[in-house]
Amino acid sequence: MADKKINLTLNVWRQQAGQEGAFETYKAENIDTNASFLEMLDVVNENLTCSGKEPIAFEHDCREGICGSCGALVAGMTHGSHDRTTLCQLHMRSFEDGDELTIEPFRADAFPVIKDLIVDRSALDEIVASGGYVSVKTGSAPEASTIPIEKNFADSAMDAAACIGCGACVAACPNGAAMLFTSAKVSQFALLPQGAPERASRVKEMVDTMDKLGFGNCSNEYECAVACPKGIDVKHIARLNREFIASRTRKKK
Amino acid sequence: MNSTRFLLSSIGQKLLLATSGTIMFLLFLIPHMGGNVLFLFGPDLFNSYAHHLHKLVPIVIGIEILMLASISVHMIIAAKTTWANRKAASSRYSQKGSRERSLAARLMPWSGGMIFAFIIIHLANFKFYEKSKTMLDGHEVYDVYGMVLSRFQGDLWYVGVYIFFMIAVGLHLSHALQSALQTYGVYVPRSGSKIKAASMWIAIGMASTFAIIPIIAYLK
Ligand code: HEM
Ligand code: SF4
Ligand code: FES
Repeated sequence: MADKKINLTLNVWRQQAGQEGAFETYKAENIDTNASFLEMLDVVNENLTCSGKEPIAFEHDCREGICGSCGALVAGMTHGSHDRTTLCQLHMRSFEDGDELTIEPFRADAFPVIKDLIVDRSALDEIVASGGYVSVKTGSAPEASTIPIEKNFADSAMDAAACIGCGACVAACPNGAAMLFTSAKVSQFALLPQGAPERASRVKEMVDTMDKLGFGNCSNEYECAVACPKGIDVKHIARLNREFIASRTRKKK
Repeated sequence: MNSTRFLLSSIGQKLLLATSGTIMFLLFLIPHMGGNVLFLFGPDLFNSYAHHLHKLVPIVIGIEILMLASISVHMIIAAKTTWANRKAASSRYSQKGSRERSLAARLMPWSGGMIFAFIIIHLANFKFYEKSKTMLDGHEVYDVYGMVLSRFQGDLWYVGVYIFFMIAVGLHLSHALQSALQTYGVYVPRSGSKIKAASMWIAIGMASTFAIIPIIAYLK
């Protein structure tokens, strides 16, 4: 791959917890187009540190699109405007020399800013903790084929389980709703026999927790599904709605 | 989870919105459109329709009470969720692209508010309006046809206002119909959805059918 270098201007949101934030402008110079977006920020931070300034705080871990740590709004789109791509997997070849980019943290009432581009997404963990699990006996792993599961159910559950909890759906939603995330976490169990015993209580508890944490109400605008780096589909939201309605008639735990 | 908590949860409120909206759509908007179409077939048919409707007073009053309940629930929940949504997404981005959100979806609270304003104007103009009498098959009946005609004739501004409000109805329905289905758990896909297309065409069809009556009345 030919080495190409580009120069960019970045307008980055800088904020300390509990204080007002503001945009600051930085130059990102001589950036290799094979670098990822986070590597580009590393270069900028290197220069900031060398000139005695505070580096830009951003969250990251795996840098291979599987952990859900990274994420920011780049030029108005969550994780940038590439489909099904996390910020760490967005590459600088997606940009042109001379581009000016605005970089902001994911914003929602339920996601307070911790610092710069880092937001507190523990509200998503709370939703999962309230029901996004199956109660099983631990011990050695059971033989996989003891519980038969139809292939299309297994596939759909697997699609739902692809959610990495990055929060882009919430950040992209005009209502700050967490329906896509919650629907993925409910669906991955609702589709499988292992999820059956806690089916009714799970959906009730998770929706209840979601509501209490200050997420908005879904108005079926589908911005979430465009934003999702894992391609979680709105069919899971339809399923969440069905599960919630059916929980009225299903037997209690 | 008791019934109140169920209905006041985020999904429960959406179900209330969808149900009250669907009731208004099925029991008010569709029959009303059907009746209005008769206007196009001249005074006798339209006046006799209005006359027969008056004979069904108990049913009409029943439906009116149901409408009053539906619109109250619809507006209270719509105001409540719109307010909560504004708050949940109150920290605005300086730059926010959107690739999926339709104009109709964006304008829901506004088109809804316009429908409400229209219903008030409309009732004042036609329901609680002095009507003259005319003869039909040897009976004396209210000249509803003449009232509609006289209201729109020579008043282009008034015709324009009606058409403007019908655009709001069309916008509201085009998002609302498919959104209600997704709320009930019927999967409405993101792109290439037949349900979305049907929702849009029903909305356009209904809005233009309503809008054509003032135009015809003006031209008569
Ligand atoms: C003939 C009158 C009306 C009909 C047939 C109607 C129908 C509907 C339907 C079917 C929905 C979809 C519910 C869902 O998304 O699940 C809806 C949503 C909504 N309606 Fe209405 N509506 C009417 C009047 C009004 C009025 C008078 C208002 C406001 C004052 C209003 C405001 C709203 C709002 C804010 C939503 C929510 C939109 C969203 O969640 O995206 N509507 N309407
Ligand atoms: S549904 Fe998609 S956008 Fe939302 S948290 Fe999961 S992976 Fe991220
Ligand atoms: S750093 Fe793990 S998904 Fe981006």
